Amino acid sequence: MRALFATAVAAAVLSAAPAFAAPDHPDQVERGRYLATVGDCVACHTQAGSASGNAGFSSHGFAGGRSIDTPFGKINAANITPDQETGIGNWSADDFYRAMHEGVRPDGTHLYPAFPYTDYTKVTREDSDAIFAFLQSLDPVRSEVNRDSLPFPFNIRMLMLGWNTLFFKPTEFKPQPGQSAEWNRGAYLAEGLGHCGTCHTPRNMLGGERNSRPLAGGDLQGWYAPSLTADNRTGIGSWSDDEIVEYLQTGRNAHGAASGPMAEVVENSTTLMPEADLRAIAVYLKHPLGSHEAASTPQPLPAENPQMQVGAAIYMDGCQACHRADGEGVARLFPSLAGNPLMQQSDPESLVRVVLQGGRAAATDAAPTGPSMPAFGWRLTDDQVAAVVTYIRNSWGNAAAPVTADEARKLRERLAQVVK
Amino acid sequence: MRGGMTRRRALLSASALIALGSPGWARDYRGAMPWKAGEVYPPDSIASPGPWLFLTAEEAAMIEAIADRIIPMDELGPGGRDAGCAIFIDRQLAGPYGQLDGWYMQGPFPSDPLPTQGYQLPLTPRQIYRDGLRALASYVAHAFNNRKFQDLSGEEQDRLLTELEKGKAKMDGFSGKVLFEQIYGNVMEGYFADPIYGGNKGMASWKMIGFPGARYDYRDVIAHPNQRYTLPPVGLKGRPAWGPPMADGAGGRI
Repeated sequence: MRALFATAVAAAVLSAAPAFAAPDHPDQVERGRYLATVGDCVACHTQAGSASGNAGFSSHGFAGGRSIDTPFGKINAANITPDQETGIGNWSADDFYRAMHEGVRPDGTHLYPAFPYTDYTKVTREDSDAIFAFLQSLDPVRSEVNRDSLPFPFNIRMLMLGWNTLFFKPTEFKPQPGQSAEWNRGAYLAEGLGHCGTCHTPRNMLGGERNSRPLAGGDLQGWYAPSLTADNRTGIGSWSDDEIVEYLQTGRNAHGAASGPMAEVVENSTTLMPEADLRAIAVYLKHPLGSHEAASTPQPLPAENPQMQVGAAIYMDGCQACHRADGEGVARLFPSLAGNPLMQQSDPESLVRVVLQGGRAAATDAAPTGPSMPAFGWRLTDDQVAAVVTYIRNSWGNAAAPVTADEARKLRERLAQVVK
Repeated sequence: MRGGMTRRRALLSASALIALGSPGWARDYRGAMPWKAGEVYPPDSIASPGPWLFLTAEEAAMIEAIADRIIPMDELGPGGRDAGCAIFIDRQLAGPYGQLDGWYMQGPFPSDPLPTQGYQLPLTPRQIYRDGLRALASYVAHAFNNRKFQDLSGEEQDRLLTELEKGKAKMDGFSGKVLFEQIYGNVMEGYFADPIYGGNKGMASWKMIGFPGARYDYRDVIAHPNQRYTLPPVGLKGRPAWGPPMADGAGGRI
């Protein structure tokens, strides 16, 4: 009897051993932890219900379930803790690399590009293995996630085979010979693990990234990820390398502050990155390959425009106290609106959203305040929201298309849905 | 022993040190203050058009008449009635203020409190209006040959209000002074409060006294001393230049 018991205990210990064993390569695990930070895995893979910012680097940051809005429906992020049944405890490093590189699971089924394998494909095998070692070092969390939440026909994963044929080819990162090592490091981070393009590159009707217009700005279902091109008006052409580094490091700079989804990126990822890597990204963003086609600058609306007049009155009474009459704001506290590319995107969605429901800047150790702007949706009509946003987009040297009350109404309805 | 460290003091210092050094007592707060998108706390009792919520038509007519004597219309601005003081009072009575929600309303209630003690009555504003106006109506009927307060001449109303204020008019079962002070205070509030609460129609009182309304940044003004302040007043729901305001009851949390 005693022997039987001992055997049972031994069996239990042995079978549990892989999950609880100390990692064999602590250096690799630590490197993987850093790379997972660059990749911002927790942004999506955090356990449903837990605020991603608080998930930190406990296993719950990777237990999956957070629902990601896509134009095709909601996708729930997978559990990537080493739980045998509900996580990736049974995966090998080969399996993991294949998922990162090709977007395919060990059983051969396809992942959706909500998981940015279209960018992660450029991650080196060495880095992929380090991330895998880190994930395997986490405590396994049992967390069943419905991974087939998309409606028909998008729930047919085989469709991704066709999609991949059209929009995806597994590639490896190739350094540009004419560029500095720093630039290439930035390119590797931004195009690969950093997956900036997942949000900031526009997509076509089928959700494929339009590679002809890299980082030109993308629609995010209720947010608009602004252009990161070198354009002075709509991109970050007017930002210096230092200002880009400061933005990624602290969540703000003299021009503005990260809010919305970018605040999460800063809080969970970029603020935890060393300055050298952030500077590499800045150098890469400031010196894009290929010639920059200067976007045609529209004429600002005249001040006599009725929408501009209403907008000016609302701005004076509701916005001016913080953002100042000249739209300059207060550096590192209240974003400058004058000359701010975020104000002049082709799609005003983020701007309308912040007016409707307020916003909060990223809070980082370097800049812990996280100043917030109050919501105005409860006391401005759709017409008034459209007018004040139009005014901001066409004042102090800004110039961008006017916003209609209908756009404000649609976003208001969408946000009301989100809250329910 | 005096001046030296007593045993007791040493003990106290030691325990204070332990308390300060104890890690279990210290908490490390990180991250930003909690914040939710779209979180708003609109004012209580935003007035929306519609029938009286608390007052009866008769009570409202009395209040409008009283408000118009306390603040008569003249060349400077509208009277208390046209400014919407009765609407303000009605909406406030229907809301938390009507029952003094959140006030300490248990006794003891001193019969002759000091002015510094503030409100010392067991009555809620609803009770004061309901019982006080009933007492006033019957007092008027008795003293003025079955007429109503709102039907008296302006001079008669003024005389009566003065007597109430001075405690000379002895109403049956209710203090005229208490009623007068309550109405007087609320009429002033209705006349000067933000229009979002139902009074101060068209921000008329703010225009009259040059109050700028819901603005809070005057750095540009201070930078130009001795120049006339010309900005029009603005309420929580804006001003005419904003275009048509939010329909009452619309909006809310997004």
